[in-house]
Amino acid sequence: MQDVTITINGTDVTAGIDERTLLLEYIRDVAGLTGTHNGCLEARCGCCSVEVDGDIVKSCNVLALQVNGKSVTTIEGLSPQRLRPIVHLTSQSLAGMYQPLEVLGADANDLHPVQAAFHKCHALQCGFCTPGMVMVLKNYLEENPEPTRDDLRTAIAGNLCRCTGYQHIIDAGMQAAEQLRAARTAADPYLCAAVVGDA
Amino acid sequence: MKPFTFFTPNDSDEAVRLLDQYSPGARIIAGGQTLLLAMKTRTERPAVLVSLAGISNLSGAATDVSGQLVVGATTTYAALTHAVFSGWHREISVMAGNLADRPVRTMGTIGGALCSGDPCFDMPTLVMGVGAQIETLSPAGVRTLTPEEFFGVGGGITIASNEILTSIRFPSADVFTAVAFEKFRQRTFDTAVVSALCATRIDTDGAVVEMRLTIGAATPTPTRAINSARELIGRPAADIDPVAVAVAVAHEVLGEPGTDSELVQYQRELIKALTRKALSRALTTSRS
Repeated sequence: MQDVTITINGTDVTAGIDERTLLLEYIRDVAGLTGTHNGCLEARCGCCSVEVDGDIVKSCNVLALQVNGKSVTTIEGLSPQRLRPIVHLTSQSLAGMYQPLEVLGADANDLHPVQAAFHKCHALQCGFCTPGMVMVLKNYLEENPEPTRDDLRTAIAGNLCRCTGYQHIIDAGMQAAEQLRAARTAADPYLCAAVVGDA
Repeated sequence: MKPFTFFTPNDSDEAVRLLDQYSPGARIIAGGQTLLLAMKTRTERPAVLVSLAGISNLSGAATDVSGQLVVGATTTYAALTHAVFSGWHREISVMAGNLADRPVRTMGTIGGALCSGDPCFDMPTLVMGVGAQIETLSPAGVRTLTPEEFFGVGGGITIASNEILTSIRFPSADVFTAVAFEKFRQRTFDTAVVSALCATRIDTDGAVVEMRLTIGAATPTPTRAINSARELIGRPAADIDPVAVAVAVAHEVLGEPGTDSELVQYQRELIKALTRKALSRALTTSRS
């Protein structure tokens, strides 16, 4: 057992953990943030991608001990939104999943531009790969705000999606890039989300 | 994964002492991108992990007074990709930015790639291809190895279990007029099926002064086609036929074609194609 402290989305999480604990397991099981998904556990699918001190990593292939004292951003950290928890999961609420934002009581204004673009472009079907896709695209777009479609394809080379065929994900990435550029000019990080939401 | 004890020493001497104390059950972890995968399948079962992450002087790249580029062992691919290099050193950045995938490049290190001993990785081919020197630290002190000494003949690496790779010393920017690396892989994030690297220097008259042709992934360690490269020394670069050279390289590395298995036939075709591309690009870059 060894004690670690990792700042996850701005909150310090301290725990005594087995040395073998992966960052992914720390995020899901210790911090209780299940947005980061466990896909393949062998650094192939990218569903578990999170940022450590602003750099994107696959959390299933990093020990929690390796990020002791560092700051982690997960998918939950992108949109600190007012989500209403689904208390009773019924067929009715599932049917409503076609409009997930409304069902969750969320507002497109609360979403990160990449998430908003995913919503707008229908860049997900089952949604399992989405947290990783969004994190990697967010990280890439911050480095390269004017990507080509090929750039985005290369950026998400380490992320697998079995539903969409990637086309809509690239569409969303391009749209998010456009919105982020607009937001950067206006110096308002969430302006873009508002634009997407109103459209 | 099997249980292990995790140490985070603050300097290289302490790391060596820990390795020495717990040898042979102790392993170095830098980024862990290869080691952790092996530990999950229990092909690696270290009882002790010594992390190099806390040792700051092991990471970073800088040119020393002699013009050589010294890259710390724990320098990540991401850091190499973003580094500002001049001359042929830029090819190191390009290579580091064109392997595995974005999240893996954040953690993966050049020293880790070399110490994994996997010939399918690009860094062993680079180090062998340009003749970089490898510096290590052990209880016996510091030593400098050539790539031929570092890589075992039948695969793997030769440094001791209590020895740490500390830095890689690349030849200065004026040693080569161009270095070109080409590889073939099934998917973008896969390792190379075959890779080829050409490092050359051409004088002002357009004659070849230096030529190194190296093939990676086809053999247990990166293999230099020494004879094929020597043939080109002194010849005008414009007269070199990359197709003919590529055929000679393929035969030198894999032996004369006989009753090749399908895999070897495949590798032979790839060596021809990739060597031709690397050589052509290196010559074109050198002349421009």
